[in-house]
Parts: sequence; C-alpha cells; structure tokens
Amino acid sequence: MLFAVSSPRREPERVARMTKPDFSSSVGDEQSQEQARLLAAMAKGDKSALGRLYDSLSRPLYSLAFRIINDNAEAQDIVQDVFLQIWQKASTYDTSRGSVFGWAATLTRNRAIDRVRMRKRRTELLAESAPDLQPAPLSGDLDSGASMWIREKATAVRNALGQLAPDQQKAIELAFFSGLTQLQIADKLNEPLGTIKARIRRGLLKLKETLPTRL
Amino acid sequence: MITERQEELAALHAFGLLEGEELRDFEAQLTADSELRGLVLSLAETAALTALAAPQINPPPALKERILALAVTPVPENKIVQFPVARFAPWAVAAALALAAIWQGSQNFSLRSENVSLRTERQLAETAYKIAQNQLSERSLVAENMISSLGNKLRKSEDLARLKVSALASLAGNTKEAQVIAVWDPEQQTGLLAMEKLPPISDNQDYQIWIVDPAYKNPVNGGVFHVSADGKVALPFKPDQPVAQAAAFAISLEKKGGVQKAEGTIVLLGK
Repeated sequence: MLFAVSSPRREPERVARMTKPDFSSSVGDEQSQEQARLLAAMAKGDKSALGRLYDSLSRPLYSLAFRIINDNAEAQDIVQDVFLQIWQKASTYDTSRGSVFGWAATLTRNRAIDRVRMRKRRTELLAESAPDLQPAPLSGDLDSGASMWIREKATAVRNALGQLAPDQQKAIELAFFSGLTQLQIADKLNEPLGTIKARIRRGLLKLKETLPTRL
Repeated sequence: MITERQEELAALHAFGLLEGEELRDFEAQLTADSELRGLVLSLAETAALTALAAPQINPPPALKERILALAVTPVPENKIVQFPVARFAPWAVAAALALAAIWQGSQNFSLRSENVSLRTERQLAETAYKIAQNQLSERSLVAENMISSLGNKLRKSEDLARLKVSALASLAGNTKEAQVIAVWDPEQQTGLLAMEKLPPISDNQDYQIWIVDPAYKNPVNGGVFHVSADGKVALPFKPDQPVAQAAAFAISLEKKGGVQKAEGTIVLLGK
C-alpha cells in the first residue's frame, strides 16, 4: 500500500457526501487567506510572517520532501530552499494562480524530484562499477505532535485517496511522488500507456470532486 | 467545451508529466482557452493536496532558526505611480514629432556607416576563427604529448605490472574536453591524476576524487582539489581508507572542503 489508506472503493455520489463534511471549505478558505496575508507581509520584509508561515507549512512540506527523497538532510535542504525562495518571491505571489500551500508544495515536489533524478543517475553510474553501492533507505522520525489543522487535512486527503480504485490510487501515487515519466509509470505497472493516462485523469478528477481546491 | 483528451492532458500537466512536443502543444492551447486554463489550475491545486498523503513528520527544530537566519530582507519593489496622461499629452506629441525628425536624419547616416562596420565585423570574425583553429590544434598537440610522455614514463617503470592506469570519461556536458588519467599503485596506496581542460569551478566548490572498491559500501574518499584557470592539474592522491581493489575512479563536484559520501554530480568516471 502506497498511501496510508485502507478504505474500500465506494460509489462516487456517496464518496462526495461522506468526505466533504470532514474537510470544511470555510476553514480551508480562512487558512488560505491567512497564508496569503502572511505572504503579503513577507513581501514587505516582515520576518515574523515568514516564521508564522513556516509554523503553518513546514511539517507537510518536510514530510513531502522526505517522502520523495527518503533522506533527512536532503529533505531539510529542500525545505530551507523552498522557504527562502518564497521569502524572496513573496511579492510575486498572485492569489488567482492558486493557494500558498499549492505553490509551496509544487516548489517542494519539483526540487525533491530533481534531486531524486540526479541521485538516481549518480547511483546508476556508480553501480556500473560496484553493484553494492545503493544507499540503504532511512526510516522517518515520526512525531505525533502534528498541528490539528494539518492532521485533519491530511486525514481528509488520505480518505479521498482511499475512495479511488486501487489502480487509480497507485497511478496517482507514482505520478506525484516517484518522479517517473508517463512511460516509466506504464512500464512499472506493466500496463499500456493509454491505460495509465486514463487512470491518472479519472483519479485526479475524482479527487477534485471530493476535495475543495483550497486548504 | 473541454474534451476528454484535454482533461487527460490537463491531469498529466498537473503532475508535470507532459514533455516535449506534447507539452508545447498543450501550453499553446492553454494560452487560447481560458476554460482549459481554469481546469489546469484547479487540477494542479488538487494534485498539490496529494502532498498531504505523505506520512507526516516534524522537521528538526533547528531548521526554522536556520531559515530565519538566512532570510535576507528582499529589496522592496518600486511602487507604480499613475502617470497623468491627459496633462502631458500635447507635450508628448510634440516630443514624438521632434524625435521622429531626429531619427530620420540619423537613419540616413547610420545606414551608410552600417555597411562599413558589417564588412569590418566580418573580417574580424574570420581572423578570430583562424586564431581559434590554431589554438585548438596546439592544445590537442600538447594533450597528445602529455599522454604519450606519461605512457613512456610508465613503460619504463619496473613496477609497471602492478600499476592500474585508467582514463576517465566525461559524464557532464561541461567536461567534454577534459582529459584525465588516473594511475594507481596498490602497494603504496597512492595514486596520481593527470588532468587537462578540466573546467574551472567557483570558489565555494571543490572537485573530489573517489575510488570505487567493492569491499566498501560507498566509494572511498581520495581528497579534494581545485583547478587552475587552464584546467591543468597533476595531482598525487591518497585515499582516507585502505583500498583493496580499485575497481574504478570517479571525480565529483562537491561543496568546498569535500564531503564524506558523494553528493554532487559525478563529472568523470573510469574503470
């Protein structure tokens, strides 16, 4: 199982009714607006706003980076780079282009995937000479002190993913976290490329129906 | 009206899975279709939420302090002041007419001089090309002599049989011209790297030598070095651990002072 979900597949209408109340859009809008306000303050050089945005987003962004890169030190570097980039570019943020979380998560994911690809290339090269050079996977330092807000949202996202058919869930997981291309995903799942594209489309549209777009 | 195919492309775009021509075609469609743009934005936002499916882990407390310490106050953007168009319009028209008259006069003069300068530029370019050609052939001659001389020295050595000689191949685009030979003496546990045309690097970086020994999980550190402006280095090296079998040599680009385990890009590799 790739996500921490185990809910069985349900009918789409039922899914929507069951999931939405757990993921209050009004709370989400409030958080999203607060984060946008923090960015506006950061654009004026307010460092305390950066600190507050860090408190709000560092946990999910660090978790995302670690999930992709599986290395504590590199995950820290990625999160550091992302927050510094947000700090420098705060004045360019446009609310009509998406939420602050969406922006930050995309930056984090892109940086982590770039590093995974670079590392993969390096490991492949070294493996040609010495086959036992693959780094051992590290285990994460799980912490139960998550903020209520993130915990609720994470639960809602996992529930929504749990409503997807397992093959869609797998395709979405690989599309988001693995850094593989369409063809590589098709190869890995041993399915035709067209089938993989259709699964990603159906899976993502179903998630969009289930989840509000803003945190 | 958004088609199923467009939905599919929008979903793939949201995960960054479109490449090449498919990506260019789709982005061209996006510029002309606001409804499609809206779908792409909302799917990208949904895709970003997938991040929350990762098991949640707290970052180390020191990370926040580090980030806040590194955050330098950005230069505030200049405010845009509304220009009073109506008030200055007549002056602007007059200025434009005056500029047009000056421009027409100067145009005549510049077209005449342009022809002369183009001819001069062409002659200069031809000269520069010939100089570059000569320099290139001189450099490859030097490299050939260097390799040949090293080979002769090695052939003369009584201990030639025990030495391992390896030519390192370029793996990164900016080291295509680099010529690197590693010589390894397993008894003395020392090596020599002879290099030419290795690109210079910034002051906060070093090249780092690695010896791949199957006895170790990670390549053995052979030390760091910096190249001079002409990329020429003859460098003795000694690994920080005993090497039983030097299966390969690699050079990576690392932060200043080097690292314990290769992190940066491997730029040269040879067995």
